[in-house]
Amino acid sequence: MPYLKKITRELSGLKTITLSVILLNLISIISLYSSLHQQGQFVGETLLSKQITWIVASWLVFIIFNYINYRLYYNLAFFIYAFSLVLIGAVYFIGYEAMGAQRWLSFGGLTFQPSELAKIAIIIIMAWFLSHPPVNSFLKSFFLPFSFVGLSALMILKQPDLGTAMLVVLIAFGMGLFSKINKKYFIWVLIFVLIAAPFSWGMLKSYQQKRLTTFINPNIDPLGSGYTIIQSKIAIGSGQLFGKGFLAGTQNQFNFLPERHTDFIFTVIAEEWGFLGSLFILLIYWLIIKKVFDKLKKIRDPFAYYLTLGIGIYFFLHVFINIGMTLGVFPVVGLPLIFISYGGSHLMSTFILLGIFFNISRNYK
Amino acid sequence: MKFKIKGSLYDNKYLAKLLKRIVLISFIVLLVVLFNYQAINGSYYLKRAENNYVRAIPLYSLRGSIFDRNGTALARDQASFNLAVFPYQIKNKKNLLFEKLAKELGISEKTIHKNYKKNISGYFSPTNIVFDVSKEIALALKEKHPKSLLVNPAPQRKYLMPLSFAHILGYVKEASSLQSQFKEYGYKPLERIGIYGIEQYYDSYLQGQDGGDLVEVDVSGNVVGFLGRKKPVSGNDVFLTIDSKIQEIAKNSLAKKRGSIILIGSDSGKIIALYSSPSFDPNLFIKGSNLAPLYKNQFSPLFNRATQGTFPIGSLIKPLLAIAGLEKGKIKPETTFDCKGRLTLGNNIFRCSGSHGVQNLEQALAHSCNIYFYNLGLILGPKTISRWLKMFDLDSKTFIDIPYEKKGFVPTPKWKKEKFKQSWYSGDTLNLSIGQGYLHTTPLAITIAINAIANGGYLVEPTLLKKIGEEKAVYHFKESMDVGQKNLNIVKNGLCKTVSKNSGTARILKNLSLGICGKTGTAQTSGKPHGWFVGFFPAQKPKYTVSIFLERGGSSHQALRILYDFLNNLKQNNLIEVE
Repeated sequence: MPYLKKITRELSGLKTITLSVILLNLISIISLYSSLHQQGQFVGETLLSKQITWIVASWLVFIIFNYINYRLYYNLAFFIYAFSLVLIGAVYFIGYEAMGAQRWLSFGGLTFQPSELAKIAIIIIMAWFLSHPPVNSFLKSFFLPFSFVGLSALMILKQPDLGTAMLVVLIAFGMGLFSKINKKYFIWVLIFVLIAAPFSWGMLKSYQQKRLTTFINPNIDPLGSGYTIIQSKIAIGSGQLFGKGFLAGTQNQFNFLPERHTDFIFTVIAEEWGFLGSLFILLIYWLIIKKVFDKLKKIRDPFAYYLTLGIGIYFFLHVFINIGMTLGVFPVVGLPLIFISYGGSHLMSTFILLGIFFNISRNYK
Repeated sequence: MKFKIKGSLYDNKYLAKLLKRIVLISFIVLLVVLFNYQAINGSYYLKRAENNYVRAIPLYSLRGSIFDRNGTALARDQASFNLAVFPYQIKNKKNLLFEKLAKELGISEKTIHKNYKKNISGYFSPTNIVFDVSKEIALALKEKHPKSLLVNPAPQRKYLMPLSFAHILGYVKEASSLQSQFKEYGYKPLERIGIYGIEQYYDSYLQGQDGGDLVEVDVSGNVVGFLGRKKPVSGNDVFLTIDSKIQEIAKNSLAKKRGSIILIGSDSGKIIALYSSPSFDPNLFIKGSNLAPLYKNQFSPLFNRATQGTFPIGSLIKPLLAIAGLEKGKIKPETTFDCKGRLTLGNNIFRCSGSHGVQNLEQALAHSCNIYFYNLGLILGPKTISRWLKMFDLDSKTFIDIPYEKKGFVPTPKWKKEKFKQSWYSGDTLNLSIGQGYLHTTPLAITIAINAIANGGYLVEPTLLKKIGEEKAVYHFKESMDVGQKNLNIVKNGLCKTVSKNSGTARILKNLSLGICGKTGTAQTSGKPHGWFVGFFPAQKPKYTVSIFLERGGSSHQALRILYDFLNNLKQNNLIEVE
């Protein structure tokens, strides 16, 4: 078994992450199985087998990216960025609609969300900009990179996909904050936004304002205001300390939770496994993110450093915002819980980022 | 190839630590929120989760029916069909749906909105919006709006002889239940409570116990599991002593006149008929119709004149006064007074209906001679008169089993002093002696008082109850007045002469050959006088005591004419036992 030995050797130091991800994959399958029940009947054979296929495919893609030297992205940064914009643009012409938003592209039988690719592209292009020695110029060191981010975010926003657009901006900002860019630029921008926001809000027509508020929280509706959030809170809270047990979540089984196999999968877990289950999930994510950020200490290549930083922020923001959303701490924006939610695109991009990180790690042991 | 940068451009260690700290704090925030929901408020959310999927579906109980003495149904529950909606199912199309329904049913959209607002008890609970439509219409509408409407059958009270029995039966009203165990599931059931009449008095017997199914439902309200059932228990049937045919004739006899007719068993106090006119249709209260005309009606149809109205009784007081006089030994049957048509007291003249000449007690009763009783009154004095009227219970309730009974009033010199700061004058005594002035009482109370002369001196407690379910009512409320039988018979004979004597005030009743005895009364009011007659028959051993009261009916003559028709009708239809 020379291959196995080689793989284990290469994974040395990354065992925690690998095992954690495998654990999350298993949790994903188990909780999807539960969330795809209705009144005690399993109704999601196709979806579950599809997801298992995606997991297997993602692992293969992960192994491939694990072997691609990360410096390649430095050279291809602008190409990857342009490619992601083209794909997002293509959604308008050949994409198809789901749940009121055009987000998907279809290749053969495979559907794909280009905005997921955009997240990767933004991490790469930001890493490219930030890895260059900083100059004391607002235009060059701040405005330029963020106009790339802004363009991408605006196009995603048009789909409309507020969650991903916001996330792209947040990832870029996070990376920028931990770079050598003069921090006062961030403060300027922040002050500008704070001042401009009320003015621009007042300039909007009332129907536009209304559209914006429902855009930020699609679940505001006059009769069942925040129905999804209310049901999610009830489900999570009713799980109590030890949960209602596997397949025993009434909120889940009796169909009170919308989107429960995608964005609200954490709710299902919290209802059936209680506070202990929730704690366990957060612990695993903590281990993964901690290991990613730990790597920063050893990296000497700025480009690798910023890639790793972006990847860590990507993982963190997804987990934090998604779980916060199910708890009603954040507005409901369409963000998956990485590694667990149903869906192929985000799983694939998460594994691609994981592959990139593994490659960097092997370069800086 | 590696692109290492010499030296330490970045303080990576510090940044990594900072990043980890941010992540850790963020996760701890999430854990605190989670702990708050799951550990601290866990049981609250568990309850809410249960409310989400556990639903109580009421199974209505039947209220006991009410029958007359012959088993004729007077009130019973019938299936009615209500239209209901699940609020969450129509959240976006409520206005449109209500608009359509209003058009299809020909009712106002406002009513539907009002019912919806009034009855909504939860987002997932069926909410009644339209009441009591026919089965056909209900099913047709359900077919038109299969996803929005729910046909919600519920028992509804139906009064079969509404006008005849309105005052006796009362009606039922929906009120929030106090005792339901379904409340915790967000279901606030309505319970039907008796209002007025038998429905109220025997409410605890008539009322059934609602049951229900506890079921599990999914988000669409589909029942997906069954948790348990509580069977509804029907209420008990109540049988009345009333004869509905006689009651109906009483209603027809009074027709549009105001007043009351009462027919009771002389010995038992069982009420065979008790009708107050004008009446109303209690079904209007069930259907939620507009009741304003009923309340605004100047003749107060809701008011039960027989038990709630107190009126001056006029000459009906005379037999009671006669008993007092005989018992106190102030007069003997052969004692006479000379009637010259008037009696002068100081500057005041007190009149009689005629110039009767020398009258003994029997004649005075037969002719209703005021002069005789003026003199008797003066001999007895106001205190004695008051005491005896109170002994006849004219100032207390009869305790009939119809709620909200009023009691009459018997004046005394002491009362007058306190009330008007005036002494009691002899004129007051004269007025009292012929049932005028301050004295007033309900038709039922004076009927019971005169009935005591018929049944040998017993004040009976009138009742409408024959049996509840299979339990027969027990009659033992009968209070002896301790009046000498001899004296009772003297007065009784006098009362018989009012009919049998050709000069008697109630001689028109003679043609009925029922052997009626009794007393007429014409009570002066500020307007037209009230007309009265209270009597009993057959003369030898009275079985029935009957009374008629005509509010501002002109005189006792009008009352007698109506009573004649009433009794004649009963006789023709063999509804009373005749010797």
